[in-house]
Amino acid sequence: MASITFENVTKRFGDTVAVDDVSFEIRDNAFFCLFGPPLSGKSTILKLILGLEQPDEGEILIDGRPVSHVNPARRNVAMVFQNLALFPHMTALDNVCFPLVERRIAKEEIDAKVCDVSEKLHIGHILHKTPAQLSGGERQRVAIARALVRDPVAYLMDDPISALDARLREQTRVELRRIQQELGKTLVYVTHDQEEAMSVADMMAVFKDGKICQTGTPDTLYQRPNSTYVAGMLGAPAMNVLPMNMADMLGALAGPNGSKHFGVRPENLRITKGSDAMISEVEPLGGSTTVHITAGDVALTSTMLGQPQFEAGTQIGLAVNSGQTLFFDGAGNTLAAAQ
Amino acid sequence: MQRSLKFEVFRYAAIAAFLALSLIPTLWMISMAFKPIAEWQSTGADLTWWPKNPTLDNFRFIFGESSSDMISALERTAGRPILASLLSAGFGTVIAMLAGTSAAYGLSRFGYGGNLPLALVQLRLFPPMAVMIPVMIMWAFLGLIDSWIGLALIYGIVTLPFAFWLMKTFFDDMPREIEDAALVEGCSRWRVFLRVTLPMMRPALASSALFIFILNWSDYLIALLLTTRDWVTIPVYMASLSSSMTGQLYGAKAALGLIAAVPPVIMGIAIQKQLVRGLTFGALKE
Repeated sequence: MASITFENVTKRFGDTVAVDDVSFEIRDNAFFCLFGPPLSGKSTILKLILGLEQPDEGEILIDGRPVSHVNPARRNVAMVFQNLALFPHMTALDNVCFPLVERRIAKEEIDAKVCDVSEKLHIGHILHKTPAQLSGGERQRVAIARALVRDPVAYLMDDPISALDARLREQTRVELRRIQQELGKTLVYVTHDQEEAMSVADMMAVFKDGKICQTGTPDTLYQRPNSTYVAGMLGAPAMNVLPMNMADMLGALAGPNGSKHFGVRPENLRITKGSDAMISEVEPLGGSTTVHITAGDVALTSTMLGQPQFEAGTQIGLAVNSGQTLFFDGAGNTLAAAQ
Repeated sequence: MQRSLKFEVFRYAAIAAFLALSLIPTLWMISMAFKPIAEWQSTGADLTWWPKNPTLDNFRFIFGESSSDMISALERTAGRPILASLLSAGFGTVIAMLAGTSAAYGLSRFGYGGNLPLALVQLRLFPPMAVMIPVMIMWAFLGLIDSWIGLALIYGIVTLPFAFWLMKTFFDDMPREIEDAALVEGCSRWRVFLRVTLPMMRPALASSALFIFILNWSDYLIALLLTTRDWVTIPVYMASLSSSMTGQLYGAKAALGLIAAVPPVIMGIAIQKQLVRGLTFGALKE
C-alpha cells in the first residue's frame, strides 16, 4: 500500500524530452490511469516509478520516501509489461514463481501463493505449458499472475490488454477493476483507449507531449475538461468544438469574455425542425445512433439513444441542452463554464 | 495451390541435381576412405563408385600401420594432429565466444565500448596474411610457436569479430522488457544475465559457437605458419600425406578427412534442437 508522488520530474532521452516537469500524486489504493496518445510519456512514467530509468531532474517518492537511488528490485513495485515480457524458456508456473524464488521465499509459501493467484486468474490448468504454447489471453493472465503473486506496494500495468480482442478486453478490464478492489492496492494503469481509462479509473491524468494536461476523476475530466485537447481526448464521438458565431444558431448562451470557441458533447446536441443544417450521414449503432451533420462548412455529430429515423440529406435545425456548453479561449483553454 | 505434373517433375529433378552436385564429392571421399591402395590409385575404367574390397587399411595406415609394400609406415601418425586440432580449435572457440559474448552484451545493453564494432571490423579488413608475419614474430618472442596454446590464442583473436557480431545481433533482437521484468521481479543485473539472458541465448550461443569452431577447425594458413612439428593440425598434416613412391596418398587423406568431419557433425547434431527452436517465440504479444 503506497502513495506515489512525482515532484517536478523531467526525463530526457538525448534531445527528446519524454517527461517534462511533471508533478502529480497517486493516492494510496487508487486505480490511477495514465491516459494519452502513443509516445506522450506514459510508459516513461512507469519506468521511472520502477527504477528502470532515472529522472534527470526532480524526485519521485513512494510512500513519502525518495526512491531515486533505490534499485528496481528493492522498490517492491510489480509490473505487467505492454508486451507481457514472459520468460520464454520457463513454464508458466516458473514464470509465476519467479518473483518469489528470487526473493528466497519458502517452498510451502510459494505453493500456497501460486495456488491462490492461479485460482483468482483461472490459470491452474495451463501452468505446465510454456508461453509459446499459450493463447494471447492466457499469456496475458500469466503475466498478470506474475505481478499479483507477490505482495508489492503498488502494481503498474502498461496497456496490458491491448492485444486481446474487444470482448475479452471488456471482460478483463472488469476483472482488473474487481481484483484491484479486492487487493486494496495502488494500481497505475497506462492506456491509450479513452473508454478503457474512463471505465476503470478512480483518477486519471491526461498526457500530451510529456506533460500532464489535467488530473482528476474521469467524471470531472469529462464534464469539465480544462482545454479543447482534454475535451477532444475523452468521449466518442469527440466533442463538437465550434466557432462562437454559431452560438446563436444553436441557442447557446453567450460565453464569457474572450471566448473563441464553444464545445458541445454530441449527446447534448439535439436535432430540431429548421433549415440551418443538413444530415450528411446516419450511423445506427443499435443502442444509440450517431448522426453526422454539416452546417455550412462545419461538421458536427449528435448522438441519441435508440434508432430514430433520420435520412441523409434532410434539412434540420440544431439546439444544445442548456447548461451543457463549454467555452474556450483562443489558445484552447477552458473559460469559466456558463451555467 | 495446384501445380502441374510437369512442374513437379522439373522441381524434383532440379533438387536431385543440386543434391548430387553438393553430395558427390563427400560420397566420393567416404568411398575412397574404405578402398584398398590398388583401388584408390587406379584410373580410367578400373575406377568404381563403391570399394570392391572394402577395408580399414587407410585408417590403420594414418595411425602408423602399413599393410602394403608400396608404402612404408608413417613416421608421424594422425593421433597427435587430431589432438592439436581439437585443443586449438576448441579453446580458440571458447576464447572467441567468451570475449565476443561479453563485448556484445555490454555494447548491446549499455552502449559501452563506443567504437568497438568499427575496431572489430577493421580487424577483418586486413587479409590474415598481412598480419601473420608480425604475429609469427610476436609468437616466437613469446615462445608460442608450435604450441596448441599459441594456436588457440590466435584462433580466438581472429574469430572474435564473428563471435561479437553474431552475438550482438542476437542480443539486439532480444526484447529488453524481458530483462526489465526480471530486474523488477527481484534480480540483480548479474542474476538477470545468468537466469534469463543466458538461458534464452542458448540457441544463439550454440549456433555461433558451431560456426566459429568450424572456422577454426578448417584453418590451414595460420597453423601452417605457427606450427612446425609437435602441434601441426589436421589440415597441415593432411597436406603432408604423400610419399615419394606413390605421390599423394589419397586413400589416407580421405580417411583423415572422414575423421575430421566427425566433430563438427557431432556438434551439429547435438545442438540441432537448439538451432531449430525459435528464440523468443511466445514471450511477447504478437
